[in-house]
Amino acid sequence: MFKVIFLVIFFLYSKFAYSGPFSDFKAGADLSEELSSSPTERRNKPSSDSIVQSKESLDPKNSAVWEDLQNELLGENANVFFVDDIKLIMQDYIEEAHKVPLIVTLPKKIQNFKKFILLIENNPIQQVISLTPYRDIEALGMNVRLEDDSPIRAAILDHEGNWYIGSKMVFVASAGGCSTPACDPAIEVCETGTVGKIAVKEYKREAGAQRIKLKITHPMETGFVVDLDGEVIPEYFIKKIHVDDKDGPIADITTYAALSSDPVILLDLPEKGQSVRVHVMDSRGLEFFSYKNDNTM
Amino acid sequence: MQYFKNIVFLLVLFNSFQAFSESIYNLTPIEVSKNVYVFFGDVNNLNNVNGGAISNTGFIIGKKSILVIDAGPSYLYASRVIEIIKSYSSLPIKHLIVTHHHPDHSFGISKFIEIGANVIMSQAEINMYFKYGNRLLRQVKKSIGDNWFINTKIVKFGNNEEFPLNLDLGGRKVSIELYNQGHSEGDLVIEDLLSKIIFVGDLVFNERAPTIPHANITNWNKYISDIKNRKWDYIVPGHGELIKIKEQLLLTKYWINYIDKTAKQAVLNGTSPAEIFNEGIPASLRKYKLAKETWIRDLPLLINKYESE
Repeated sequence: MFKVIFLVIFFLYSKFAYSGPFSDFKAGADLSEELSSSPTERRNKPSSDSIVQSKESLDPKNSAVWEDLQNELLGENANVFFVDDIKLIMQDYIEEAHKVPLIVTLPKKIQNFKKFILLIENNPIQQVISLTPYRDIEALGMNVRLEDDSPIRAAILDHEGNWYIGSKMVFVASAGGCSTPACDPAIEVCETGTVGKIAVKEYKREAGAQRIKLKITHPMETGFVVDLDGEVIPEYFIKKIHVDDKDGPIADITTYAALSSDPVILLDLPEKGQSVRVHVMDSRGLEFFSYKNDNTM
Repeated sequence: MQYFKNIVFLLVLFNSFQAFSESIYNLTPIEVSKNVYVFFGDVNNLNNVNGGAISNTGFIIGKKSILVIDAGPSYLYASRVIEIIKSYSSLPIKHLIVTHHHPDHSFGISKFIEIGANVIMSQAEINMYFKYGNRLLRQVKKSIGDNWFINTKIVKFGNNEEFPLNLDLGGRKVSIELYNQGHSEGDLVIEDLLSKIIFVGDLVFNERAPTIPHANITNWNKYISDIKNRKWDYIVPGHGELIKIKEQLLLTKYWINYIDKTAKQAVLNGTSPAEIFNEGIPASLRKYKLAKETWIRDLPLLINKYESE
């Protein structure tokens, strides 16, 4: 009996003292200023109301899509915990929605995990990547497309079958990251590179740790872009990325067109890899290698 | 009777709505020297209030003809500019110099061709204008509204000019130089010899964050030094107020070098733009107008460019 009372008290206490995993959302003066300094048609006068609103929509209970998404991708009756130590490092307010860099950092206790999934709730393509690691990973990075304001969720499955989820709400200045052409001639020279060109780079980090960075030249067509003649450009994207080194596999990654064109993937490993290699397969069945492959299929 | 009243009311309402939704550029030229005028652009990004009129447009009146520098963002803008110029002088507008292809400088071209002006632009930038013009037009329409771009078209025109090019407006000589691969593929710089005023296009931004996407930073640096060392009384930048002292040119230099260094460092260390943005805008850059937007937009592009090299 005492136990129950204690638990209730504890529950109430924790409910009030700890504002929850969604308190990470930084909507301070900085964001308000940011919003008002770049007026768009959609949000000419941002108010603190819209910030409160978005904070609320970060709560999965208020999300129209989360439940289905969870059932579909994390499994029905999945054991799900929303946590605040899985951090999503990215801007709060996005100007260029077709190429948004982000990094997910994991706390020490969860760096040895079974699966990682990145989800963008309000995207037409909600799943960005699904990664199965063969070694500990400290942080993961990528470039994504955002169609609209959305909660972004980084879901990690541990070896006991529990999902831990880090969340962040982001705003998009001009919507349509999935439905506008990947290159914007107003701000860059739009020359398309050779499809399948892979660059693998390894960087030293502190205490023998390493960052692996992959960059693959690929249009990553979403199937939502209409060309100048009004024709829909069919979807065409990378489906699988396999990363390994001399000691064996590092990670298997399943990718979707919510990754930006010419996707970049970052993996922070606690230990240095030895001559990292990459093997890529796209939705047309083409294969690309970062190394010389003798038994091409 | 009530029925008619209602109709009249609706008509009035409809008309007032039309007037409200009409796109009007409120332009007033400033005389920066005798017979040299500048329409200074809005200091904000293009939006549905300024209609994209964010860059500076100039005109120089000689004894025989008039020369205009930059066509502005749209046909409507160019029409308004021409109308105003006509109220200052009845001489013909013989030349239009377009410093580079970016929409805010070039989309008024078709209006100037309509009135028979000779359009001068570097070949490299004409190519960019033809190649990306229609796509850019669709984009600006989408971002600030179709109504600002009524009649705006990407038109073909020839160009056989060699630079440096000297023009005589009648008792007034103007020289045009090509600064290849600096801020854009080929920026034109226009000097009015009589007033010693130089129009430098987007090679110089005054107190506003310069945009670097098509830029070659090394050349651009050299060009700013070159402009600094030329003899001039005033410089008209592509964006921002009139420049009267040399130090003002260094603002552009400081920004482009800072962002360039940051991008190169990021490529060297494998840093993600997300991590750099997480640090906030560097304190020394915050004083620039549009600092945040420009920093966030340009840094990943520059990193991407250096990564591919």
